[in-house]
Amino acid sequence: MAVLRTQQTKRRDLLDVPVVGRFLRWKHARTSMQAALLVVSALILYDGFWGPQLAPKNLAGVLPWVHWRGLVVLALLIAGNIFCMACPFMLPRRLAKKLLPANRSWPKVIRNKWLAIGVLLLFFWAYEAFDLWASPWLTAWVALTYFVAAFAIDGIFRGAAFCKYVCPIGQFHFVHGMVSPLEVKVRQPDICGSCPTKDCIKGRYEQGSDSVRHSGESRNPLSVDRPSLLPKRLPLRHSRASSPRAGARNPSSEGREGQVPAPATTGFSRQVSKQLPREESNQAENDLATPAGLQLVQSGCELWLFQERKVGNMDCTFCLDCIQACPYDNVGIQLRAPTSEFKKLEQWHSGVGALTQRTDLAALVIVLVFAAFVNAFGMVPPVYVLEQWLATQLGVTSEPVVLGVLFIVGLVALPFGLVAAAAWASRTLAGSTESLAATATRFSYALVPIGFGMWLAHYGFHFLIGALTAVPVMQSFLADFGVPLLGDPRWELAAIVPDSWLVPLELVLLEIGMLVSLTVGYRLARQEQDSASRAVRALLPWAILIVALFFAGAWMMTQPMEMRGTILG
Amino acid sequence: MTILSITPDPAAVGDAEITLQVRDPAGNPVSDATILVEGTMTHAGMQPVIVATEARGNGTYVTEGFKFTMGGDWVIIVRATFANGTTAEQRIDLKGVQGEMNMKSDKAKEGN
Repeated sequence: MAVLRTQQTKRRDLLDVPVVGRFLRWKHARTSMQAALLVVSALILYDGFWGPQLAPKNLAGVLPWVHWRGLVVLALLIAGNIFCMACPFMLPRRLAKKLLPANRSWPKVIRNKWLAIGVLLLFFWAYEAFDLWASPWLTAWVALTYFVAAFAIDGIFRGAAFCKYVCPIGQFHFVHGMVSPLEVKVRQPDICGSCPTKDCIKGRYEQGSDSVRHSGESRNPLSVDRPSLLPKRLPLRHSRASSPRAGARNPSSEGREGQVPAPATTGFSRQVSKQLPREESNQAENDLATPAGLQLVQSGCELWLFQERKVGNMDCTFCLDCIQACPYDNVGIQLRAPTSEFKKLEQWHSGVGALTQRTDLAALVIVLVFAAFVNAFGMVPPVYVLEQWLATQLGVTSEPVVLGVLFIVGLVALPFGLVAAAAWASRTLAGSTESLAATATRFSYALVPIGFGMWLAHYGFHFLIGALTAVPVMQSFLADFGVPLLGDPRWELAAIVPDSWLVPLELVLLEIGMLVSLTVGYRLARQEQDSASRAVRALLPWAILIVALFFAGAWMMTQPMEMRGTILG
Repeated sequence: MTILSITPDPAAVGDAEITLQVRDPAGNPVSDATILVEGTMTHAGMQPVIVATEARGNGTYVTEGFKFTMGGDWVIIVRATFANGTTAEQRIDLKGVQGEMNMKSDKAKEGN
């Protein structure tokens, strides 16, 4: 172990940072962060339902739409998926795992991102159609719905089905976490190769003890630690059936849930992959009973990301279960080049698959990228002209209907039309034999940085001009309970940077997004094409799309901003 | 407390003057109150505009240095402190304050 620790120190690992690393290694670190945000959520719910129904004066108006959104994009930019790590919706969900069966498999037909894409589209539309940003009451309902949905879904289905397949916020984090500088990953791959127990994925059990060392679920919804069943069927190289922690790992934990895994990199994994047919996998998956006398003391990854073959941040909630579970202290939160993940799109990602084969993930990326622009477009005057024109053409006065049409065009028809056109042109120019869908899927990921640049510019803008508004709103909230804090509410507090900084800062962020997108696009083209000139030709249509998005974003940022709830009528 | 007028009309981005009328429950004008006017947008996180008013007699007050900083939906909050120490607050919704773009287009139409 001394040798291992010496090797570990060569890596830049957040867990090695004094204080922060010690905190993150603490078994209750995540719970404590979640508890803190749960308290904030409770305040938001209370004020949203019963507080003043004016967004700037209400915690439900200020904290979610100004602070949370701004801090989410900043956290993704400078660290990683911190907000999934501290997600307060996971506490009732953990309760659901204790109270409800949580033993059903997530339906295979929706073991992808399509449902989450639908929820995202619904959310973006509802945000504008019902002016969620201006209604603390509706905001509180959205938050409450989230708590109920997480509780219900994960109380019915095993694993982290809500996070992986439903949560629109999580999808936002997963996609934009691709450009984050931190990644939860294995420190020394060799150690995983010789690990017989794979606790990082199947969890850790101990013999009949009532002392649960971790505050996680009382049963691992993923791991089917079946020393009495699986070893008979599966002659494991590292068979330790006599040990409480021994036995076969859950086959469904490799690759996508219930899917036959891709060729593995280790002998252990390879054996599982070859020898466990899908039916057996499903049978094992369907048996959730914790083996007699064994008790789960630490969950493994509930999003089916097997550390040994985990690649990148996709679907990783930074829950740190793998870090807690690994008996070799071999998983860290490591620093990486923010674009490094794009080099591995073709590589098999445990629990995800190859990103270049995931059309649903590419579609999620496309929706999020264009949503960044449509969302910002909703705040500049030309949108009102467009809405009026559209209402006249359609002969309707209902704003939700008009916005519905705008969103279908802006987030579905236009993006997918543009991506299809770019893919067609790319294939034609480069003489590629790759299918249209494959080309479109591959290059869609190149749009992530420009989309993230736009989200950063937009949400960063709101945060920078309104960060201090939390102070008077909290003062006012406490004053309502007879607890005056620092005198009368300081309503004049708002911005943390001068106004004159904002547009230049937004343009810089968008410009960086564009440049990174172009760089990633070239790399992706180069992966497919055998010469630089063909790669440039393949990239050209995508470069035009990326630059066009940049100019669209820059144009929006230089428009005078307006915030209207009522446009029609 | 009632808003008598907002100049310019319709309200638009830039300097503005809000004229208020304050009366007691019996309907008599109140001219010795201290009135503060806050303009804030319906979207959270925007810098509010908070100004004092000048009493013009007969229960009429006029804002000093008020400015609509952005087009969109505003809320005007009037806070009064009366001579006897009591306070009152009233909120008035003001939708669709014209932005710079609307103003330019209106001027262009006038020019035509």
